[in-house]
Amino acid sequence: MGRVAGKKLFSIMALCAMVGLLLLPIAVSLPSLAIGADAPDAVKKEGEAKVEKGRDVYYKTEGIVVGAPAPKTVDGPKDYPRYNFESRVLLWFANQQHLYYGSFVLAVPIFCMVIEFMGMVTKDKAMAKRYDQLAYDFIKISLTAYSITAILGGILIFTFLTLYPAFFGYLSSIFRPVMHIYALMFVAESGTIYIYYYGWDKMKEGFLKWIHVSMSVVLNVIGTLLMMLANSWIGFMMSPAGVDEQGRFLGNIWHVIHTALWNPLNVHRILGNMAFGGGVVAAYAAYKFLASKTDEDRAHYDWMGYIAMALGVAFLIPLPFAGYWLMREVYAYRQQMGITLMGGLLAWLFIIQATMIGILFLSTNYYLWQALGRMRGAEKYQRYIKYLVFVLCVGFLVFITPHTIVMTPAELKAMGGQQHPVLGNYGVMSAKNGGINVIITTTILSFVWYMRGNKVSTVSWSKFGNIFMGIFFGCAYVNIIWLAIYGYYIPANVRVGLSVPQVATTLSCLFFMFALNGFMMKGAKQMGAIEWGKISVRSQYALIMLATAFTWMMGLMGYIRSSVRLFWHVNEIMRDNSPWAYTHTVGFAANMISFNVLFFWFSILFVFWLGSLGVKKAPVEAKAGVPGGAPQPAEGH
Amino acid sequence: MGMTIVYVVVSLVVCIAYFTAVDHFLMESQGLDYWYLFRK
Repeated sequence: MGRVAGKKLFSIMALCAMVGLLLLPIAVSLPSLAIGADAPDAVKKEGEAKVEKGRDVYYKTEGIVVGAPAPKTVDGPKDYPRYNFESRVLLWFANQQHLYYGSFVLAVPIFCMVIEFMGMVTKDKAMAKRYDQLAYDFIKISLTAYSITAILGGILIFTFLTLYPAFFGYLSSIFRPVMHIYALMFVAESGTIYIYYYGWDKMKEGFLKWIHVSMSVVLNVIGTLLMMLANSWIGFMMSPAGVDEQGRFLGNIWHVIHTALWNPLNVHRILGNMAFGGGVVAAYAAYKFLASKTDEDRAHYDWMGYIAMALGVAFLIPLPFAGYWLMREVYAYRQQMGITLMGGLLAWLFIIQATMIGILFLSTNYYLWQALGRMRGAEKYQRYIKYLVFVLCVGFLVFITPHTIVMTPAELKAMGGQQHPVLGNYGVMSAKNGGINVIITTTILSFVWYMRGNKVSTVSWSKFGNIFMGIFFGCAYVNIIWLAIYGYYIPANVRVGLSVPQVATTLSCLFFMFALNGFMMKGAKQMGAIEWGKISVRSQYALIMLATAFTWMMGLMGYIRSSVRLFWHVNEIMRDNSPWAYTHTVGFAANMISFNVLFFWFSILFVFWLGSLGVKKAPVEAKAGVPGGAPQPAEGH
Repeated sequence: MGMTIVYVVVSLVVCIAYFTAVDHFLMESQGLDYWYLFRK
């Protein structure tokens, strides 16, 4: 009893320590935050004559200048020291790898939190243990990745300092307090993640388990804040605020953080990270499934792959809408920037992006259809899959149709203009919005089928429920396609608003049909249990495809977002005068992204391999009679 | 069979009314006219 009380006390102390660590950066940085407010006072004391005011380039408010102007760099060893290699490519590589790992270690603890909580509230003891084991498996993978993230962060800072000292000096002069908070929060996150991982066994039951889950909440709050702080730097580079037109800091740090694009970037990135994290864990499970020697292992990794995929796709579905919001804000901030992205220099990259998004949804649907095979009773849906394939393919083809094509003069003459007389009609936003919404709605339908695959509803109103669901989906398709066609007949300023009801239609299917299905399947008759592990090998390759497509798309979108600044380090404030201030060709960018993707996957395979070493050791230790016996799943880690 | 027709009709009425309301009110919330083409 005393031991339990001691453990409780220890756990509460650990939680308090973590909350303290979380608040520490704020407490420590308060004087730093006040720099902006104090500095003008100091200047005032020296005499009113020295006070200079500037106008915020974004907020249009007046403030007292407290920073130096953005440096006007020149191409030379002082501002752009270099090796005999393109510095931008080195920075691109360091940045991208850090982002991949950073996204992964931010997303996976969120999954852990959700799965551990599901394990706690599940009444079925066996299921609860499986969830707990799964959450533990997830955090184990992310722990090694966490160390690599920190190493890559160091490499990134050194790359900035050594290759772009003038730019990084300016950025750090603006974000000084933010960077200190960031560093301290990183310390807080490290402490929390290690206590969370190593305290798993000690805090596995009762009240202590609640403390353990609370730690995961603290961990994820810190992780999300870290991401938001890092986003403020790229937000500032794209849409600066809090400085005057010369780039001089005006003393309000919140203006510098809260730029025009900060919030959409935050939402888009957190959803993207979650989808990416789910994809990587699903690929890990697929790899383990393919390498499994026993049915038991196959069943475990099949289940793990499904959960990770479902979590990833849950965040993938709203991702295009978050992307749409980001683009809308980009247009609102600078119309020219939006045109460069969607209709100018970088437009072809968006066609590639559309292709990748299509691949993501096609892979997800393919996996779900394959997964229907492990359920008895799901055969009834098999004959309808060909129709879903047709709908998905049509949506996909419309979604990837370019507006104009790069052509030779002879081709141009043969086609009669830059736009194809028939296909060119599909290369506009009205059609594309229809295409992607049809794809997402079909994915939601596949999920609904999967969730009811081996069940027969027993509620008295099941017939009405089935008819209503079928008609709701049918009407949703009609509404999406109708709005897409309607867009051709109304002016652009009205047409642009049609995307909102289109999105609402898709989301209605997601929320209402999932809820309706849940009510209908309450106490449903099971045709047979889900036979975990009895799924085709092809489905696992679909999971790997899903993860690879996520990785490639993240690399692509990062490149697009960064390239839109063109020849500016900080948009319209600090010019990039290095020899690499030009936009790469699509081919070079694609090769570079592919290289980053390959490097990430080889390195993450190494992480997976490291994780498997610990698992292999366990039986050997047990045989040797190590005190405590052999570790048991979900009980002894 | 009779009930099936009733279910289909009720479902159609509810769904068409719902999606029309979604289109109308979400366009209106943006200060735009969903019925633009029909008023012209």
